[in-house]
Amino acid sequence: MAPKAVAEVVVDLDPEAYETQNVHAIYDKIASHFSSTRYKPWPIVTKFLSELPDGWIGLDSGTGNGKYLPLDRQGKIWMIGLDRSINLLKNAQQAGGKAREVILGNALHHCWRGHAFDYAISIATIHHLANPQRRMLAVQCLLRAVSPKHGRILIYVWAIEQDELSKRIIPQGECKEVGSGKDVIVPWVLSKETSPQGTNSPEGEEKQVYGRYYHMFAKGELGRLVTEAATGLNLIIGAADGQVPSSEGVEIVQDSWERSNYYVELRRWSIP
Amino acid sequence: MVRLVTHNLLACHAKDCNTNNFPLVFQNVQLEIREAEFNSDFIRNFLPKIEWNALVKTAYELGDTSLPQDQPEMVDDEFLKNLHHVLFEIHIIEGGMVCPNCKHNYPISDGIPNMLLAEHEIA
Ligand SMILES: C[S@@+](CC[C@H](N)C(=O)[O-])C[C@H]1O[C@@H](n2cnc3c(N)ncnc32)[C@H](O)[C@@H]1O
Ligand SMILES: [Zn+2]
Repeated sequence: MAPKAVAEVVVDLDPEAYETQNVHAIYDKIASHFSSTRYKPWPIVTKFLSELPDGWIGLDSGTGNGKYLPLDRQGKIWMIGLDRSINLLKNAQQAGGKAREVILGNALHHCWRGHAFDYAISIATIHHLANPQRRMLAVQCLLRAVSPKHGRILIYVWAIEQDELSKRIIPQGECKEVGSGKDVIVPWVLSKETSPQGTNSPEGEEKQVYGRYYHMFAKGELGRLVTEAATGLNLIIGAADGQVPSSEGVEIVQDSWERSNYYVELRRWSIP
Repeated sequence: MVRLVTHNLLACHAKDCNTNNFPLVFQNVQLEIREAEFNSDFIRNFLPKIEWNALVKTAYELGDTSLPQDQPEMVDDEFLKNLHHVLFEIHIIEGGMVCPNCKHNYPISDGIPNMLLAEHEIA
């Protein structure tokens, strides 16, 4: 397959309206095709989930087709999927051939009782939010969703720095500011046969191309976003060791790049 | 699916709705009972995380009176099985969840609750 070209864009609408048009409407249209191509879990996510204590409950914010919901270690941990795309959730509801708990909701909004979860993951989702403020709010939502004593969080976002195996061609223009990332549209090609209405057209004819909005993160940008989000919640950034009594914080235990993505792992702590 | 395990975590998030916004009250619901595999270790681990009063109240409202008003100190198998049933085997397929405070109704359709609010409805 020819590499898919990624084009730079300027977000020219109110960000909510922009996301509705260029993210949510698109996922609802490509849901079944998208779902059939998304089944391989990323090893770092698998490892994160495998190390959680038994009995922990978690949130998968931006669960998509629920690819990670079956990694519940035969029911030793529990995970609830949240997504904005109702059509993807219909797949997620049955992920791995079992009844899953899924919620139609927004990763930006906190529809839970405070700190209800032990852990949260948000994989390849926050990069669909159309400005820095909204991406920061999404991180804050995760920080608020988990236990202040032991909550763990894993966040993955798409990177400007791409893997050589990546099928994408990235525009080479300079970033406007150092470490500010890039707003782009990524095409999704839906042939008639894979499209929902696709019935009586000959193979390969009439390809529909849908563009999804992404913010491609620059090196260091995700770590800064987390720091800003945590600071806004009055959390100390750093390890719990040596902190004064009655303090709360979050430690960034990993901040790294893997296969065209940046990821961070966070752990909340509080000292009584 | 919405089961009580999930319901026990959800709260209203409408603008200025910060007190008495939990638990949401089921309304006009259509239920389905589906057997789920019993995992006593998971339930034991899960027990301390439950908002007990909310769970018991909601189960009563749905017609299940198997749980004691107070969380028992001694946990036996019969109790765990009842709890398992309440948390994991009652599926709410259609209906709504109403906030006790602001009365916002979060609809449930095909087992998926819709927690979306328009941006202006949110604090
Ligand atoms: C690239 S997919 C990733 C799905 C899944 N986490 C995975 O790794 O396979 C991005 C998902 O984010 C969801 N999404 C985008 N913006 C969202 C928002 N504001 N709230 C909730 N979900 C959102 C999309 O509907 C889509 O399912
Ligand atoms: Zn309310």
